[in-house]
Amino acid sequence: MRALIIDDSAVMRKVIERALRQSGLDLTEVLQASNGEEALEILRGDVANPAKIRLIMSDINMPVMDGLQFLEARRDQQLAVGVPVVMITTEGSEPFVLRAIAAGAQGYICKPFTAEQVKARVVPLVEAA
Amino acid sequence: MTAWQTRQHDWIGRLDSAVSEVFEMMLERNCSPAEIAEAIAPSISARILFSGAIHGECVLLASSAVAQVTAEALLGTPSDPDDPASADAIGELCNMIAGGWKSKLGSEEARCTISPPTVSAHSEGLDPKTEVGFLRFYRFEDHVFGVQMNF
Repeated sequence: MRALIIDDSAVMRKVIERALRQSGLDLTEVLQASNGEEALEILRGDVANPAKIRLIMSDINMPVMDGLQFLEARRDQQLAVGVPVVMITTEGSEPFVLRAIAAGAQGYICKPFTAEQVKARVVPLVEAA
Repeated sequence: MTAWQTRQHDWIGRLDSAVSEVFEMMLERNCSPAEIAEAIAPSISARILFSGAIHGECVLLASSAVAQVTAEALLGTPSDPDDPASADAIGELCNMIAGGWKSKLGSEEARCTISPPTVSAHSEGLDPKTEVGFLRFYRFEDHVFGVQMNF
């Protein structure tokens, strides 16, 4: 399976990728975007083949287009329908969580996190999708 | 103790807790407050802005060695001080500390928003005697860094 990781920090994208690989998911490729706009370009097929993306992990606080704006644009443009989106962010307050869920996020992980937390929250979503 | 001093004491405790959690969960290291008598000379700083319910900033000040060790701990691979990953890692460290501190506030204050981190070179010395909102130093292994909260 392929996954898309959206975070403005290249270091954090690698940390998340490592946690996903440790969770036992059969990742063949991890696509990366540094903001929501880049992610939409990938999902539209503008810059990469979006086929077989089975998981999207997204930060919220990012320049250009943040994670909540990405979620809402993805929903409005009907991109990657049925693919689980898990927010992984320092923004853990209720308004952010509620807005993310309303816009289609199926999981929410707060930074700092452990690989075990990623496994527990992501793997069931991928298996159910 | 004034109301502001009481509030500041509470916020310092939450900051100590947030720093400890970030290091334990993300870097698998112990990190605790340090008493620093001498000025230190950070070479890099990361800044997060708070807006909304709280207006202020969280500034993390560190040496290049701290940035390098943080990048290595997050990535699990060797790094060097000139590697862009070192600056990136300091930005993420500040982001997680500021976010962790915010999440420990009361529900109204936790509604503030935080900006993405900005990272820059830092050329000024950091003196623990300087009066600011509050300034805390932390030690992990043989390394010391500072976190300054201004409101």
